[in-house]
Amino acid sequence: MKVDYKFQKLEPAKNFKAINKAEMYVPGHRTCAGCGPALNYRLVAKAAGPDTIFIGPTGCMYVANASYLCTPYAVSLIHAQITNGGAVASGIEAAFKVLAQKGKYTGVFPNIIVMAGDGGTVDIGLQAMSAMLYRNHKVLFICYDNESYANTGIQVSPTSPYGANTTFTPPGKEIPEANVLFPKYVPELVIGGHPALKYVATTTIAHPLDLTNKVRKALSFEGPTFLHMLAPCPKGWKFDEKLSREMAKLAVETGMWSLFEWENGVYKYTNVPKTYKPISEYMKNQGRFSHLKAEHIAKMQAFVDERIAKVKANIAIPIATPR
Amino acid sequence: MAQEKMLTGCSAAATGAKLAEVEVICSYPIRPYTAIMMELAKMVANGELKAEFVHGEGEHAQVSIVLGASAAGARAYTGSSGVGVTYAMEVYSPMSGGRYPVQMAIADRALDPPGDFGSEHTDAMSTRGQGWLLGWARTPQEVLDNTLIGYRIGEDQKVMLPQMTCQDGYFLSHIADKVNVPELAQAREFLPPFKSPHPLSVACPVSHSPQIRPDQGAPMDAQRAAVYTDVPKIIEKATAEYNKIMGRNYDPFLEKYKMDDAEIAFFIQGAHANTCMKEIDKMRKQGVKVGMIRPRWIIPWPTQYLAEACAGLKALGVIETSTCYGGSMRGGNLAPEVRASLYDLDDRPVVTSFMGGLGGETIWPEEFHSMAKVLTQAAKDKRASQYTYWVGFEGK
Repeated sequence: MKVDYKFQKLEPAKNFKAINKAEMYVPGHRTCAGCGPALNYRLVAKAAGPDTIFIGPTGCMYVANASYLCTPYAVSLIHAQITNGGAVASGIEAAFKVLAQKGKYTGVFPNIIVMAGDGGTVDIGLQAMSAMLYRNHKVLFICYDNESYANTGIQVSPTSPYGANTTFTPPGKEIPEANVLFPKYVPELVIGGHPALKYVATTTIAHPLDLTNKVRKALSFEGPTFLHMLAPCPKGWKFDEKLSREMAKLAVETGMWSLFEWENGVYKYTNVPKTYKPISEYMKNQGRFSHLKAEHIAKMQAFVDERIAKVKANIAIPIATPR
Repeated sequence: MAQEKMLTGCSAAATGAKLAEVEVICSYPIRPYTAIMMELAKMVANGELKAEFVHGEGEHAQVSIVLGASAAGARAYTGSSGVGVTYAMEVYSPMSGGRYPVQMAIADRALDPPGDFGSEHTDAMSTRGQGWLLGWARTPQEVLDNTLIGYRIGEDQKVMLPQMTCQDGYFLSHIADKVNVPELAQAREFLPPFKSPHPLSVACPVSHSPQIRPDQGAPMDAQRAAVYTDVPKIIEKATAEYNKIMGRNYDPFLEKYKMDDAEIAFFIQGAHANTCMKEIDKMRKQGVKVGMIRPRWIIPWPTQYLAEACAGLKALGVIETSTCYGGSMRGGNLAPEVRASLYDLDDRPVVTSFMGGLGGETIWPEEFHSMAKVLTQAAKDKRASQYTYWVGFEGK
C-alpha cells in the first residue's frame, strides 16, 4: 500500500548561527549545574524542532526533567520505563502509520525520538532498542551516554570506563582499579546486527553543529537510525561543573571518544586529531579516576591506542579487552 | 445478517478484534493464545483488516508497544498466556495509570514450574491490583462478545482503562462451538471509534506520565479508585445495549443458573462452568437444590450483586481455579473475596472453597457431585470442616 506519510524534510545547518533559535527544551528543569545530558537534550530538541515526540525512558533526563507534573518540553513527551523505550516508540510509530493509512491522521509525520541513557540503551533497555531497530520503525534512538546510572547515585553501567570509581565499583585493597571491566562499545553493538538500520553516528555536547546536523540527517531517513552522544556528568565523573564541555572535547582529543558517521557499511571519521593527547590529560581532572596507579593508566592508554589505530584505518573500532 | 459459525475461543477472539477494527496489534508466541495472533496475522496479510501488525520481542514489549500505540490515539490489541502474562508485569501499572484502554486477550495457562500447558487462572489473577478490568468468558460466543464489550467499557471517557478478556486455555481456546458473529455494522453501532482525549501530538504538545511528588501520588490513586465506583453503571449500560443490538441475554456481572430456589451453590469462573451446569441438571433431578453463580467480571468485583444473589443460600462452594498459597482461605483467590462480599448479610451462607481446575486438569463431572455433598453437609452443620478442599485428593 502506498501512503503519503508526510515525512519531514530537515535541512542541515551550514554554520553555528544557522541553528534553530527556538528552544524546544526550555528552562524549568532541576538538573545539576553543568549537566551534560541536559545540554545534550537542549541541542537535540532544537535540531529536531517543534514537530517532535520524545520518548523518555526512566533515567536522569526523566527524573530531573519531568518533575512534579511539570516538564521543560515544548513538544510532546511520553515517559517509558527504563526497560522499554524502543518498544513504546515502536507502538507510537505504528499508530501514526495506521492512522495515516486510514485517513484519521492527516498532519505531518512527527520526529519520533527516544532519548535514553546508557542503561536504557545497552543494559536493561537493550532488548527493546534492538527489536525496534530490527523492525524498521521510523524512529531515531539516541543514547545520551554519561557512563553510569547517575540518577540513582552513580552506579556502574556497561559503558562506565575501566578504572571508574562508582558506588557499585569502589576501589579497595582487593580491587584497586575499581571498575575492572571495559565498556560495551555502543555503536558497534548497534551496527553489528540490524539490517534495517539506516544510519549511525556519534557526537558530543562539545560539538553542537556536528550534533545538530547528525540529528537532522538521522531524522531524514525513512527507517531506524541511532546516535551515540557523549554527555559528561560532573557529579558522576567528579569534575568541576564548568568543565563539562571541556571533558567532551578532551575525550575526542585523547581518542577516548571518536566522532564518525556510518552509512551503507562505510565509516566516515571526522574531527580526528593530528596528534592525540595522552589519556592522562583526560583522566587527571576526573575524580572517578583519581585512585588509579600508573599501571592502570597504562592499561587504559593501550585500550585507547588500539581504538586510535582503527580510526586511522577507517574501520570499525574493536571491542576486545586489552591483555 | 449475523452469521453462525463454528469457532474456537481463539478464532472468536480474533473475530471480535476484527469487528472492533483494532488498529495496532502486537504479537509474541506462547501457547495457547498464539492462535489468536495467527488468525489476525492472516487477516492483516490478506487485507481483511487494516492494521499495523507488530512482532513484539516478548510480552513485556507487547504491552509496551500497545501502550505507545494507545498513547498516540490508536485502538490497540495484544494478548498472552501463562508466564507471558507475568513477564509483562512491569507495564501493567503504567498502562492503567496512564489510562490507556488497550485490550489484552488472555488464554489462561498454568504458570511454571516447568512446562505445564493446561489452563489455570493464576496467570491473569496475579495481575489483580494493577488497575485493569478483568473478565472471564464461558463460551467462544462470550469470548467474541466480551472483546467488543471490553473495548466499549474501557474506552468510555469516564473509564479509560485497559482490559484483560480471559478464556480458559484449550478448554475454550481450542475447542470449537457455535458462535453468532455480528455484522460489522452492528459492531460499529455498539462500539464507536476510539477517541483518545489527549493523544501524543505535534499540533497540541502534551506530556504523558511525568514524574510526581509523593503528595501527588495519593490523589491520582484516589482518582483511579473513584473510576471503579462508576464502572459498574457503565458495564450495566454497555451490556444492556449489547444485548439489544446483538440479541443476547447477558447479565452484566453474574450468570445465575438455577439460583431461584437453590439452597447450595457453586461460585465458579470460566469454562468449567459448562460441566458444572450439566451436573447441576442431573443433581436437580435427584432433588438436590443446587445452583451456580459465575462472575463475568472479577475486576470490578461485583460485591453487592453477589450479596443479593446469595441471600437465602445455606452453603456456597467457591471453586478456585487459581492459587494463592498461604492466603486466608489456604488455597485460592476467589473465596476471600466472596466471604468479604457476604459479610454484611444478616443471614449469610457458609462459604468454603475447592481447589480444582489447576495445572490444566479438568474438573470431572462426578467431582461436582462430591463437592455438592460437602456443601450439603456444611449447610446442615452450619459450618464447613475446612477452609479449602483439594478436589481429587480426598482420602490421600
